Amino acid sequence: MMPPKKSPLDSIAALWRRAPKGFEPPVGQTPHTVVWTENKWRLLRFSPATKKYATPILMVPSLINRWYVLDLGPGRSLIEWLVAQGHEVFCIDWGTPGAEDRYLTWDDIAGRYVGRAVRIAARETGDTHVLGYCLGGTLATTYVAAFPDGVASLVNLAAPVDFAHGGIMSTWTRTATFDVSSIIEAFGNVPWQLMQASFNMLRPTLRMAKAVAVLDRAWDDEFLDGFLATEKWGHDNVSFPGECYRQYIVELYRENRLIAGTFQLLGRPARLSAITCPVLAIAFADDHIVPVPCAEPLIPAVASRDKQIMVDRGGHVGAVVSRKAADRLWPALSTFWAQRD
Amino acid sequence: MIWDMWKQGFNAWETATAQYMEKVMSNPGVLGPAGAMLTAAMKTKAATDKAMSAWWSMLGLPTRRDQERSLHKLNQLESRLYDLEEKLKA
Repeated sequence: MMPPKKSPLDSIAALWRRAPKGFEPPVGQTPHTVVWTENKWRLLRFSPATKKYATPILMVPSLINRWYVLDLGPGRSLIEWLVAQGHEVFCIDWGTPGAEDRYLTWDDIAGRYVGRAVRIAARETGDTHVLGYCLGGTLATTYVAAFPDGVASLVNLAAPVDFAHGGIMSTWTRTATFDVSSIIEAFGNVPWQLMQASFNMLRPTLRMAKAVAVLDRAWDDEFLDGFLATEKWGHDNVSFPGECYRQYIVELYRENRLIAGTFQLLGRPARLSAITCPVLAIAFADDHIVPVPCAEPLIPAVASRDKQIMVDRGGHVGAVVSRKAADRLWPALSTFWAQRD
Repeated sequence: MIWDMWKQGFNAWETATAQYMEKVMSNPGVLGPAGAMLTAAMKTKAATDKAMSAWWSMLGLPTRRDQERSLHKLNQLESRLYDLEEKLKA
């Protein structure tokens, strides 16, 4: 039930009361163990008190954002909710790349690291469900396309696949004067500040809209907690390993090799038509970063018989962590995996 | 009441402005020069760094790039060892 409506003055008073506690809520609170560490990445394991489903779920988050968007705090955590339903969850924490990681390629990250995470998650049961979020979905898709063994199903959550329809990001990266090599030569890893600036340019008025939303709703503790956690995550970005970024822009954004069927991973063809496991692609109608036509083409391209597309309302992040997500998206995910356990 | 009316006006303005800005930001007339400026700035930084490291290596000292390459090789070696360990266990 929605609390009774209040005025912006109530919101200001609520912010004032919150100030001594600070504006950074704790995130990533679901109990877990670290089961693997390699270079900067770690594999986290979230075990349920009573395991209800045999096949674990491996989550592959985006490289440029922190993993804890999937565990954003009590009541806003997809991982916490899934664990409470009896799923065992593994999640990759990519960590923070060092200057030396400028040489990491897509092969290293999607081939070696994701591959290792799949094998560890599937160690006890023989296979694992894989969920990729945003760029993590693209990484997971290329891995599953090249190495389908050990993968029980693939769920792509707002993951770009057809880069010809990548919206304004495609237009930018395909501009002739945009020289990706010069960025990597200058910085090594692509600085998160540069990427954040480009995301801000996708909707320059977003900050003002957020300020108005806070004035309108900050009196609602649940809204404020969620807003602050999401903002903390949104400003806690990491740089993109240089060589991997070059491949991402040149081979995926510009040459659209995943759709063309010419992408390779660790020397093996990564063709979408080689994916035969159950596949679910989820896209969000108001997503400016990964528009629906960029995520949707996974479904007709894979050879799986068991495949479906789900288009929900909401934006790139809000649709995954909001109250609505807890009512609709999370149960839909759990049902998908439960039916294929 | 006044707040609600103001908010409605703001939302309408925000939506219209965002749509307009999206058009501007995807206009080749804006993107071309912006891309060229970014590339020029990046090339200047890369050239400055290169000159600095050339001077540094003239003294026989390892450059930042040398250290990064060595560290990367060590990380790669660690990964290959893990690969080998996995194969031996399988």
